[in-house]
Order: sequence, then C-alpha cells, then structure tokens
Amino acid sequence: MAKGRVSIVVERCKSCGFCVEFCPTKVLALSSAFNSKGYHPPHVVHPEKCSGCDLCGMYCPDFAIYATKVPQPAGATQ
Amino acid sequence: MNADPRGVFTGVHFIDGDHACCEGALAAGARFAAGYPITPSTEVVERFAARVPTVGGCFIQMEDELAASIALQGAVWGGAKAFTVTSGPGFSLMAEHIGYAAMTETPCVFVDVQRGGPSTGLPTLPAQADMMQARWGSHGDYEIIALCPNSPQECFDLTIKAFNLAEEFRVPVLVMMDEVVGHMTEKVIIPSADQIEVVPRKHTHKRVDDYLPFETNGDMVPEIAHAGEGYKFHVTGLTHDERGYPNMTPQTQDKLIRRLQQKIRSATDRIAMFEEDQVENADVVVVSYGITSRVAQRAIDTARQQGLRVGKLRLITAWPFPEGKIAELATKVKAFVVPELNLGQMVREVERAAAGKARTIRVPHAGGGVHNPEHILKIIVEAAR
Repeated sequence: MAKGRVSIVVERCKSCGFCVEFCPTKVLALSSAFNSKGYHPPHVVHPEKCSGCDLCGMYCPDFAIYATKVPQPAGATQ
Repeated sequence: MNADPRGVFTGVHFIDGDHACCEGALAAGARFAAGYPITPSTEVVERFAARVPTVGGCFIQMEDELAASIALQGAVWGGAKAFTVTSGPGFSLMAEHIGYAAMTETPCVFVDVQRGGPSTGLPTLPAQADMMQARWGSHGDYEIIALCPNSPQECFDLTIKAFNLAEEFRVPVLVMMDEVVGHMTEKVIIPSADQIEVVPRKHTHKRVDDYLPFETNGDMVPEIAHAGEGYKFHVTGLTHDERGYPNMTPQTQDKLIRRLQQKIRSATDRIAMFEEDQVENADVVVVSYGITSRVAQRAIDTARQQGLRVGKLRLITAWPFPEGKIAELATKVKAFVVPELNLGQMVREVERAAAGKARTIRVPHAGGGVHNPEHILKIIVEAAR
C-alpha cells in the first residue's frame, strides 16, 4: 500500500514540470490533457511509489500540487 | 586558486574604504550584488554597479533590505559569488536572512558600514554599536564570522578574506566597517591577480545520483551543487537532514545545529586574526578594533613615551572571538583597556575571557565621533598604576 497520496489542483498548474522532474520516486508525468488555460497538468502514473514526502508541494511555484501521508494499517512494516 | 584578472584593479590608488571594499569584492570574484543603498555604505554598491558589468556581472537595486539579503543567496545557489552592503537600519532588516544563510550554509558576504544607532540614528557619523547584533542578530543558535578593517587597505584585503572564509566554511561572513573607515581616503595597494589567493566554491564531484546536499565527509562542511546543473536538491530554512529534506525531530535538530556551531568553533584558532604589539611584559593591554584601534594607537604611543608598559591587541576578527588569546594574556597583565564606539559590547567578551584574572576597563563612546586619545591615555595611566 502506498505511503502517500498526491493531490493535484489542475487549474492552478502551468506545466513547468518541476514536480515531475524532482519527484524522488518518479510518481508523476505530465499528462496529455489540458486545463482551461491550455496547460498540461501532471498526473499520477505510479501511485504505489508515492512516499508522501511532499517535495512536489515544496517545489511547486503555484501551489498546484501537494502530497499527504496515508495512515498505515496497524502492523504494517515501514 | 588565483583571482580572475578581469576583476582586479591592480595599482596604487587613493580611494576610500567603501571603494576599496568594492574592489575587494570584485577581486574576490563577486559578480553579483543586491542592495538597498544606505549611507554610509552607498559608495560600495555605487562603484560596484558601475564596475561589475565590465567584468560580466550585475547589481540589482532591490525594493528593500530583506529582498536584497535573500536575492544574493539566490545568486549564490545559482553559482555566483555575491554580497550585499548596508548600514545599521538595513542590517536589522537583514538579520532574518543572515540566519537563513547560516542554516542553509550559503556562502555569502554582508558588509555593514556602521553608523550611530539605534534606529535611524546618525546616518553620516560613525559607531561600532552593531557588534553584538552581528553575532546574535538572528534567532536561534548559529555561528558567523565577522571581520573589522581599520583602514581602506584592510577594507580591500578583508573583503577578499571574507569571501574566502565564506567559501571555506559555507557561512555568511560579515565585514563590520564603520563610517570613518568607509569614508576615509588613503593609499590602497591592489596587487596583480596572480598574487591574490581566492578560495573556489566547494563544489561537489559526486554524480547526480549519489549526491546528498548536506552530507559531510569529516570536515563538517558539505559540498555544494548549483541550480540547473542537474543535481536535485532542496534548500530550506527548516531543520533538514543530509538529503536537505525537512525533518523536524530533536535528533536531526541536535545533529545539524551542533555541526553548524562546531564547524566554526572548532576552527576558531585558524579564523581569529589579531594584531599584537608589545603584549609580552605589558602591564596594560589595549584591546580595540576598527577606527578606534587607530585612535588608541596615539594613546598607546604617548603612554609608552611616559615609560608605561602598554601592549596592543587589535581584533581583526571579532567573531569568532579570540578568547584563548585574552585568557592567556589575562594571567600576565594587570588590566585590559577596551575603547570602542559603543557603550560596552566587545568589552563583555574580553571580560568573560579574562575570567576575573585581570581587570577589564571600559572606555565607552556613544558614537557620532571618535574618542579623544587623551581620554584613552588617562584610562591607560590609571590602569597601569
């Protein structure tokens, strides 16, 4: 089970690609979809790899993405 | 490594301390400055703004001192050597980012040409009353290095030294000038570039995949990478681990903050420079720095003519304070006399290091002018009794 979950605010994105480039576990890719301004927001391609570190959130210039930790079930190993 | 000849204004010049400081920065390799010019430091960036485009750099006048002191750090992480220049009121605003530079280990230089304070104070008149602010102005436990030139020549020499120390230890280094030194015009000899030693940035040799931005290998100073080179790293003022990621645990805090402190404290003997003269067998040692050291010289000379055994200890490095030297002298002398253009700042350090083994006598001055040498002489004579 993934340790983290990415949330993307599609309409704020200007597809700079920082989150895709800097994600340590390569969770993200730019999608081929458009937002209403004509940019390609990222989408999650490897949800199982997300650690919830929120580096994407710290890098994003536009507060368009963030990651949260997912509570692990009791007894799960780190 | 030798200086880049393009930035070195070789020759014998008749310039003031501010201009000499600017030339020192250029010689040291500074190619970026951000500032919010303020009297009595304006001439430094005025000259820099005119000179630096000719050697391939730029100066930006920012909207305020907070912006200036953080813009220069952006330039450093982009690969430049950078500095800013200010005076007391601006120095107060920059305090936040001096702490940021200490926490993120950003090698950079802040020049404070001290004027009378607090607040707006005496814009065109001298003081040395920012000395404790230099040490403790930002919050939290951190270490900085502060240098105190006492002539235009030293404004040149010590500005280069400041950049070199900043690169070696990855700390903000403060050049604590005063208005008199900044505005005093004297002969300044600028050697050729091949005679100027410049410390290059401690750049990493690791591969992109192996690089950890705050990992240290024995010497407590991590290797740096610059933005845009393909290294992926995160720089934050939050407590961070070797990866640069925020990690707010007491263990990470303890490890990081102790290292930031120890990398300077353990090198105090190497960093702390002072000039001593006839301190062996002295009854009284005059401890001074900056312009006050030159006023005190007159008093020392007169006292010696009267047959008194007076030694001189001039602080070139104020922080880290050379407490070992004071402690050693304290066992041999009757008293320390400490004139300074404030109501008692560095004298507290002298007193602390002397630990009651010798008297410590203050010669305070509220600023706005320099001491009368006669006044310092009178205190020396009393102390020698």
